[in-house]
Amino acid sequence: MTELFIRLMRKPQGFVGVVLLALIASACLFGPALAPYAPEKIDFLGRFRAPGWQNWLGADQFGRDILSRLMVGARSTVPLAFIATFVGSAVGAIIGVGSAYLGGRTDEAIMRTNDAVMAIPGLLMALLLVSTLGNGAGNAVIAIAVAFAPGMARVTRSAALNVRNQDYVKAAIARGEGAPWIIFREMLPNVMAPIVIESTIRVSFAIMLFATLSFLGVGAQPPASEWGLMVAEARQYMHQAPWGLIAPSAAIALTAIAFNLLGDGLRDALNPKDEQ
Amino acid sequence: MIPALAIRNYTLDYVTAAEPVHVLHDISLEIMPGEVLGLVGESGSGKSSLAWALMRHLPDNAREVAGSLCLGDIDLQRLSPRELTKIRGRRLGMVFQDPSTSLNPTLTVGRQVTETLIQHRGLKPRDADALAIDLLGHVDLNNPAEIMRRYPHEISGGEKQRVIIATAFGCRPDVILFDEPTTALDVITGARILELFARLRRETSVAALYISHDLALVTRVADRVAVLERGRLVEQAPAADIFRAPRHANTRALVDAVPRPERRLVHDKPRDQVLLAASDIEVQYGRGGLFRDPPPPATKKIGLEIRGGEILGLVGESGSGKSSMARALIGLARFSGKISFDEHEIHGMSDMNAAYRRDVQIIFQHPDSSLNPRHRIDEILSRPLKLYGGHLGDIPDLLNQVRLPASYANRWPHQLSGGEKQRIAIARAFAARPKLVICDEITAPLDVSVQAQIVELLLALREETGTAFLFITHDLNLIRQIAHRIAVMRRGEVVDLLAVEDFDADHVHPYTRELMAASPVPVG
Repeated sequence: MTELFIRLMRKPQGFVGVVLLALIASACLFGPALAPYAPEKIDFLGRFRAPGWQNWLGADQFGRDILSRLMVGARSTVPLAFIATFVGSAVGAIIGVGSAYLGGRTDEAIMRTNDAVMAIPGLLMALLLVSTLGNGAGNAVIAIAVAFAPGMARVTRSAALNVRNQDYVKAAIARGEGAPWIIFREMLPNVMAPIVIESTIRVSFAIMLFATLSFLGVGAQPPASEWGLMVAEARQYMHQAPWGLIAPSAAIALTAIAFNLLGDGLRDALNPKDEQ
Repeated sequence: MIPALAIRNYTLDYVTAAEPVHVLHDISLEIMPGEVLGLVGESGSGKSSLAWALMRHLPDNAREVAGSLCLGDIDLQRLSPRELTKIRGRRLGMVFQDPSTSLNPTLTVGRQVTETLIQHRGLKPRDADALAIDLLGHVDLNNPAEIMRRYPHEISGGEKQRVIIATAFGCRPDVILFDEPTTALDVITGARILELFARLRRETSVAALYISHDLALVTRVADRVAVLERGRLVEQAPAADIFRAPRHANTRALVDAVPRPERRLVHDKPRDQVLLAASDIEVQYGRGGLFRDPPPPATKKIGLEIRGGEILGLVGESGSGKSSMARALIGLARFSGKISFDEHEIHGMSDMNAAYRRDVQIIFQHPDSSLNPRHRIDEILSRPLKLYGGHLGDIPDLLNQVRLPASYANRWPHQLSGGEKQRIAIARAFAARPKLVICDEITAPLDVSVQAQIVELLLALREETGTAFLFITHDLNLIRQIAHRIAVMRRGEVVDLLAVEDFDADHVHPYTRELMAASPVPVG
């Protein structure tokens, strides 16, 4: 594990990704303590105040400090998006590798069911699940995980089909290894690269999906300072106070970039061949 | 007379993060017009780097330290990219190792041949078409006009290589570089390509550099042979002499490693008791659909018997069903028929119990793909021990058994050479203490000298353990050295099953005779 981390830190992408994520993580942990203002403190004199010494990133339509809202909101945005992506990717990866391993008609049945689920747009699926399960962050996580799993299953399966034909998998079957060993120890480590890349890209989608759910009124509720909700709320004042839109969007983008860089770094670090 | 190709004191390094790797060191070679020079060396000796240097297609980290490369009176190193395109193909042709990757799969064969002719000989499309048909006919392709319309995947490997050779000769270059042109083909196809090469050479008197790891083969096609060892030229001699009187130790090792059927390596007799008897084994891949018939079976109800401690050879060209037979016996392919093993009857994959799976082990052809790249060597070797019972403490012994140091347990597969990886695969098979080991072309991707070591290792392990082998190969000379009996397969059928002493007899199947004629027998 430490060896993996050292290898990760040696790559520039991995290093930058880890540093950025450490910043985001500290915002998640200590955000409320470090924020200069309370996130919901309304200041009528300071409505739409431009970024300056009073409000570093400006203020919104109620005069609330955007920096403070971002720092507090990190906690309700990043971990949830990460968990949703992680669960969705893990489930999808296992379905994909399992399907590739079983092959034949079972594979066909699993993948066609998967296609049927994929035919429903992700957002619609998430909406459907949240409205069935009820509002709330936990249900939104489940909804997004379910929406992500089929796509991951398909990406993983195509990579796993190549691995399935490798002689080391045949050797494992020939010596009578059980399915769990072959799926988890022989095949899964060899398809990690596309899974890691795909899921780090999906973290940013997840943040946007959360935002959309909040925007439609089934995710986080105002006055919560969830980033997506902040974008949604600032949208109507875009021309008066663009900073209200730019700051949370930049925060989302930065998080997405951090995860992508980490993904690139991990892909190289997970590959023992890159060892110098 | 000016040599067609002259390499003088050429030294090439690859710059890496650690330190420069010396790939070629002070190489001097001359090829006269009309002469064929064979360049022999093991993998990693730098022979392909030399070919790429001549084609001026070196990787970015290559540094040409000294020396010159001259094609006739042209200095290849001084050419601009634009001048180079006029030389490549037009004056210096190249035929690559793997015909399946050297043709573009999305263009028709005809397009790829005529494009070259239009580029290099300035022909009009219609003339190029006519010439292409002429050229393809000249390399013994049936119905060249039809071949021109096809895509590369619609013709066989041998046909692809003929198309490439036709294209290379079609531009009438001064020199053609051949980089292992028959290695990727099976024996009989390869032998026909060599005949074609000999004929075209007589007709065109082109000069050629023929690169190969197979000394026996090179001595048959080349006028002179140069031996390369770790980037140094160790010997140059006329082809006829190099086998009879190798001067350098490395050449002698290469000559000794070439398998010769008359030099038997196994002298004992197998036991009488039958270990494995397979009868009516039929392997069928894919089912028929609603509107299409199922493909023909890969093996047609064939039977084999292997006795305790016996080495049974299974030879045949690619697609003859020999690997399908192995896959059926090991439980990787669905089959119909019956296998009796140690008084235990097996009718399908589900009948193979743990005892059978332990007693019958397989070693695959490609060591790169048979070891999981994400597992360390100790984990790879620990699996059979865990599954079939054994101590994890035995891993050093297993490594020792295949002549590898115990410290290799901590390594990753990619840190090992091809031969070492194959040793690990052998150790993994023998960790189960099997009664029968199936070797599926295990020496094919290895150098001749490494191949000899692997065979020696297998025979030593057989001495210790009394294991029987089913040895699948296309190298008839090798199998005649070690097998007790040899089965010859063709198109899913066993056409011949002979004791090895009977191979020179008259009653062998015509196909077996053809196979023997195609196996390069060392000169001298």
